[in-house]
Amino acid sequence: MTTTSSTTSFAASVLDPIRAIVGERGIITDPGTMQPFMESWRDGWVGRSPAVVLPDSAQALAAVVRICAETRTPIVPQGGNTGLTGASQPHADGSEIVLSTNRLNRIREIDLDNDTMTVEAGCILANIQNAARDVGRLFPMSLAAEGSCQIGGNIATNAGGVQVVRYGNMRNLVAGLEVVLPDGRIWDGLRGLRKDNAGYDMKQIFIGSEGTLGIVTAAVLKLSPLPRATATALVAVSSPSDAVDLLTRAKGKVGDRIITFELIQRFCIDIARRHVPDVPDPLNDVYPWYVLVELADQDSGERLAGMLEGILEAAMEAGEVLDGVVAASKAQADSLWRIREGIPEGQKREGVSYKHDVSVPISKVALFLDRANAALEREFPGIRPFSFGHLGDGNIHYNPIQGEDGDPAEWKARLGAVNAIVHDIVVDLGGSISAEHGIGRLRIDELPRYKSPVELDMMVALKMAFDPHNIMNPGKILRLNGNAR
Amino acid sequence: MKILVPVKRVVDYNVKIRVKADGSGVETANVKMSMNPFDEIAVEEAVRLKEAGKATEIIAVSVGPAQAQETLRTALAMGADRAILVQTDAETQPLAVAKVLKALVEKEGPTLVVLGKQAIDDDCNQTGQMLAALLGWGQGTFASKIVAGEGSIAVTREIDGGLETVDLKLPAIVTADLRLNEPRYASLPNIMKAKKKPLETVTPDSLGVDVASRLTTLKVVEPAKRKAGVKVADVAALVDKLKSEARVI
Ligand SMILES: Cc1cc2nc3c(=O)[nH]c(=O)nc-3n(C[C@H](O)[C@H](O)[C@H](O)COP(=O)(O)OP(=O)(O)OC[C@H]3O[C@@H](n4cnc5c(N)ncnc54)[C@H](O)[C@@H]3O)c2cc1C
Ligand SMILES: Cc1cc2nc3c(=O)[nH]c(=O)nc-3n(C[C@H](O)[C@H](O)[C@H](O)COP(=O)(O)OP(=O)(O)OC[C@H]3O[C@@H](n4cnc5c(N)ncnc54)[C@H](O)[C@@H]3O)c2cc1C
Repeated sequence: MTTTSSTTSFAASVLDPIRAIVGERGIITDPGTMQPFMESWRDGWVGRSPAVVLPDSAQALAAVVRICAETRTPIVPQGGNTGLTGASQPHADGSEIVLSTNRLNRIREIDLDNDTMTVEAGCILANIQNAARDVGRLFPMSLAAEGSCQIGGNIATNAGGVQVVRYGNMRNLVAGLEVVLPDGRIWDGLRGLRKDNAGYDMKQIFIGSEGTLGIVTAAVLKLSPLPRATATALVAVSSPSDAVDLLTRAKGKVGDRIITFELIQRFCIDIARRHVPDVPDPLNDVYPWYVLVELADQDSGERLAGMLEGILEAAMEAGEVLDGVVAASKAQADSLWRIREGIPEGQKREGVSYKHDVSVPISKVALFLDRANAALEREFPGIRPFSFGHLGDGNIHYNPIQGEDGDPAEWKARLGAVNAIVHDIVVDLGGSISAEHGIGRLRIDELPRYKSPVELDMMVALKMAFDPHNIMNPGKILRLNGNAR
Repeated sequence: MKILVPVKRVVDYNVKIRVKADGSGVETANVKMSMNPFDEIAVEEAVRLKEAGKATEIIAVSVGPAQAQETLRTALAMGADRAILVQTDAETQPLAVAKVLKALVEKEGPTLVVLGKQAIDDDCNQTGQMLAALLGWGQGTFASKIVAGEGSIAVTREIDGGLETVDLKLPAIVTADLRLNEPRYASLPNIMKAKKKPLETVTPDSLGVDVASRLTTLKVVEPAKRKAGVKVADVAALVDKLKSEARVI
């Protein structure tokens, strides 16, 4: 909004009609109050917007989108605003309104026999987990932002988290969706079905679309039985390939009782302990790599602990495992988890780091780490490898940290070069440059380098079919026809 | 010096306790059970005494159902040398347990018994004291520090308003408080070794103890739920409510 007259006409043609639909409580235009909606949780994405709109029903939201469609006003859908790719903030030119789902926060229905829960998009993930637990069920999506992120955002980013190895990512947990399309029509696909082959599976198109194809307003979620027992261990291994062997062994013995299988490089534990209180170091010796493994099932804890010990003992005899501890109580299990949870926090305080949200086939994880570490050391001597993550999903947080010496500004300037080296290796090994967080704005210019022209054509065709005027979260994932957005 | 360490199998500290629908007790079926946390501290202290060369043997004892073997295995993995299960399905109460322990003390001849200060299921805080009385031994309860000497043991106790140190002539009873130590994790090699350590099972009968309950539980109920708060319009309304409803000013 550069001139006063266009500001006035925007207010009259767009904001006033929107206000008439959502009321004073449903629109924010005061810059101070809007600020939290403009900024990202991490990495400093900041935008501007003439208004944040907060409808309290799918119908109201659809009516708002209709006005935007008619006036060609671009929209940034926003949930809990915890996304990590700059996809949930507006651009800096102030041309886009932010459409927040904060007030769409009702749990509409729980169907115990069908093991489903129907929720509105703005429900906070932790509230959904608790509502499921209250009726003796598990909603397994779980990630560190669960107290703030919303289910609509989880769906739009196809979120992963710490239990994907057992329950799959968001895509596996959705039975049905209600979506407002970019022209303002509502698609009611709230079907609680596990089998539905009546035509194309439209809900999957929206899952992981980062708000570029439509706005999710409600979802039918699949619930699982609530595990009664867990067994947790931290074990030491000499290499990532031994960790993979242990994973294969464990899968063969207990299959989908494995709910967590996290690989942790020793240096990550050192950094967590350096910066975060109460991070234990429970083994007597220091080892190069560790695995945090957790099993869960419906049976009593003792049997499960016996299974875990059995696997680990056999692995130790086979030389895959060097040492380890098994939690004897939940308090000890929680304490082992503090190691894993302290890593991102510790890393933040250790200086410049280069984050990569990558995945490769599990069978290629060890090779990936070897190649990436060697290539980076060659190019940037002194850079410190820092790797941990969901080995069970082939998803490694490959986040090397700057060398101990050197100018942080100099290290910071190498981000693009480091990303390119790592991502080239990932893609060469058949991997992905985004396992969990999405493309957003963060990786928008890297995508064309790593996707084939055929795949990019399909993505553009899909975008044009749903959103021909490019008003739904423009400039995220794709730039159309070489335009800026 | 031989040390006897009794350990109890209880509902895990971090499990949300649910009362059975018929009010006869708390739900324990399919619930995560662990060693009573104060007993873990007692085992740890005994193992440290052994590592420091002050103790020669540690015997872990549990009075309870067959599954209490798992609790004993945990104690063995932490460093106890052997274990005795006094198997009973009766609800264990402090006096009966103290009598069982007295019989075992007479059989095994330890010079020190280290217990947890209380079990977190019934919160009785009685067994150690009763055992001391039955044996006529000295007791150092709520221990936050133990220093073993020759023929005696100095126990620092947590008491209201401070610390008190008592010097006990051995044999003696010590009950562990939270700050005594931080229990170790059972390591994988030690878990494997523990499977080969001796675990003997006896019955209360064979020790000549009647563990039948002397208490009758009438009813178990949930604590009253906290009522939701209310919002007041302004400070005046708050003051008014504090005066007229809460009656605190
Ligand atoms: C501490 C922390 C830990 C995290 N851990 C993980 C993790 O382990 N695994 C993982 O996968 N992710 C993780 N994330 C990132 C993750 O993507 C988000 O936390 C979450 O899934 C996004 O939800 P949100 O409601 O905050 O979405 P937002 O940030 O508000 O939005 C994210 C994207 O979804 C779109 N969107 C939001 N709501 C809707 C809707 N209703 N309809 C259509 N589009 C919508 C937005 O336009 C944007 O493109 C983490 C983030 C943080 C801050
Ligand atoms: C005895 C019997 C039992 C069955 N039981 C089940 C059952 O339990 N569950 C169930 O889901 N179905 C069942 N079916 C139906 C089932 O859909 C088919 O058996 C099977 O999945 C189709 O495989 P097909 O190779 O025979 O495909 P076809 O019959 O050759 O083709 C089926 C469809 O797929 C298309 N198609 C085939 N190959 C390709 C390709 N390579 N690329 C693109 N499109 C292709 C065809 O154009 C057609 O639309 C059963 C069928 C029979 C005869």
